[in-house]
Amino acid sequence: MMDDTASRLSFPTRYRKALLGSLAVVLFFAAWQAIFLVVPFNPLFISKPSLIASGLVDLVTSGDLFRDVAVSAVPFFYGFSAAVVIGVPLGIVMGWRVRVGYALDPLMTVFYASPLVALAPLVVIFFGVGVGGKTLIIFLLSVFPFIFNAYAGVRAVDPLLINVVRSLGGSERDLYFKVILPSVLPYIVAGARIAVGRALIGVLVGEFFAASEGIGYAISRFGDIFALDRMFGCIITIMVIAVVLTEGIRWSERTAFPWRTAH
Amino acid sequence: MSEIQAVNANIAAAAPADELAAPSKGVWQRFEPTLLGCGSIVVLLLVWEFLPRLMTMQEGTKLFFTVPSEIGDTLWTMFATGAIWEPLGVSASAFAIGLSIAIVVGLPLGILLGRSAALNAMFDPFITAFNATPRLVFLPLLLLWLGLGLWSKVAVVFIGALFPILINTHEGVRNADRVLINVVRSFGATEWGIARLVVVPNALPYIVVGLRLAIGRAVLGVVVAEFFGSEAGLGVIMVRAASRFQVDVVFAGLIVFAALSLLMTGLVKLLEDRLSRWRPQHVSAI
Repeated sequence: MMDDTASRLSFPTRYRKALLGSLAVVLFFAAWQAIFLVVPFNPLFISKPSLIASGLVDLVTSGDLFRDVAVSAVPFFYGFSAAVVIGVPLGIVMGWRVRVGYALDPLMTVFYASPLVALAPLVVIFFGVGVGGKTLIIFLLSVFPFIFNAYAGVRAVDPLLINVVRSLGGSERDLYFKVILPSVLPYIVAGARIAVGRALIGVLVGEFFAASEGIGYAISRFGDIFALDRMFGCIITIMVIAVVLTEGIRWSERTAFPWRTAH
Repeated sequence: MSEIQAVNANIAAAAPADELAAPSKGVWQRFEPTLLGCGSIVVLLLVWEFLPRLMTMQEGTKLFFTVPSEIGDTLWTMFATGAIWEPLGVSASAFAIGLSIAIVVGLPLGILLGRSAALNAMFDPFITAFNATPRLVFLPLLLLWLGLGLWSKVAVVFIGALFPILINTHEGVRNADRVLINVVRSFGATEWGIARLVVVPNALPYIVVGLRLAIGRAVLGVVVAEFFGSEAGLGVIMVRAASRFQVDVVFAGLIVFAALSLLMTGLVKLLEDRLSRWRPQHVSAI
């Protein structure tokens, strides 16, 4: 229905939102660049878009940026995968086995509500500053959205479907794979979107603390040596990665489960 | 952006259904959730407490290990000697100032963006980018600009808390009933009148949910900011303790932060219940 009306509208009306958005971004960077024509420019405290752009080009051509991102991506991948592998089954069992849910819900709520980042110094002491420590921090931060969303998803399963499978002689296994998992999937993907943000926090915390490489380390090192152009370059890189990850998941939610976001 | 809140709301909405079913059953069944919930926590604490006594540990591991009774002891000493109040005050003031500024900025801006499609389209790229990015990424920059003191912490708390408030206010304002707005407008209300009579009351539950998320982010902001660049506060005490292997102090600090976070969230939940009492759908939920 939306497409029908949209096709009859003129180009500016159709893409009004996108146009206004891009215009605002361009204006923002132009204003940032232009303000230093009036205000004195101190490269130790602020940078300008032209310098940031050339700093970024430097980082990309020298390969430093890719190396740092690749180093950070390894614990991110491990921690996030572990969060999915442990969080989703735990959440499903909590939702399906009522007593398990009763037993674990308060405990998990306490963990979820407490700022687990505060355990980062301990984790670093126990497991060092390498991949292991960072992976554990990322896992701790990103596992709870999976647990709670899988839990909520199972409880939202249509009881009628369960009864139908049972009446037709389906086994417990059939219930899990044919009813529960498909209806829980949208919840899990929504949980993944929240977890990505928290996992990125884990990457940064791990690398700010003690690391010798990685994108978070690069940001704090460039800050320490007042190389603000390259620091902004790394910050923008993280922003782009974060937006691509979250919006990518959002897009896949819309595409794969259109009935969830339609209303 | 709003699905996060929707999922949380789902969890919250599903809870009363269990309580609804409970009273018709026997005593054991009625108290089963509470007993099992508390039981699992107690069992965990007991295992943690007695495991080191049953197993012999290497001298090196013992240095890094602590048990709940030790943590409780440390916590008690911190409160009894009053040693906790000063750093807690430092952390709390950063939290309070940052959160207040976030509310003062986020609420009007959210209402404005909800009422104006053009402004919303212009701000949307920035909100999406800043909301997706961990705010922690700006910490080195903020330290450079604002120094190690209170204000860099306030800034981190502010950036963290602003977006949940802003986004939820915007969502609530956008969902206001068009018919009600048109009625009020037909009777000659100004834009201010529409905001006061229709838009804000409708958005209140959303705003409160945003506030709840903002509190969590603000606590996180205080902790993280104090870890990496500060000279006073509870977070600083925790980092120093960790580097001296005083694991019990780290856990004591974590418990204080968690308790504060739960307390604030609980207060907001009370506010939420109070504010949505007049809502018809809420009545039907009881």
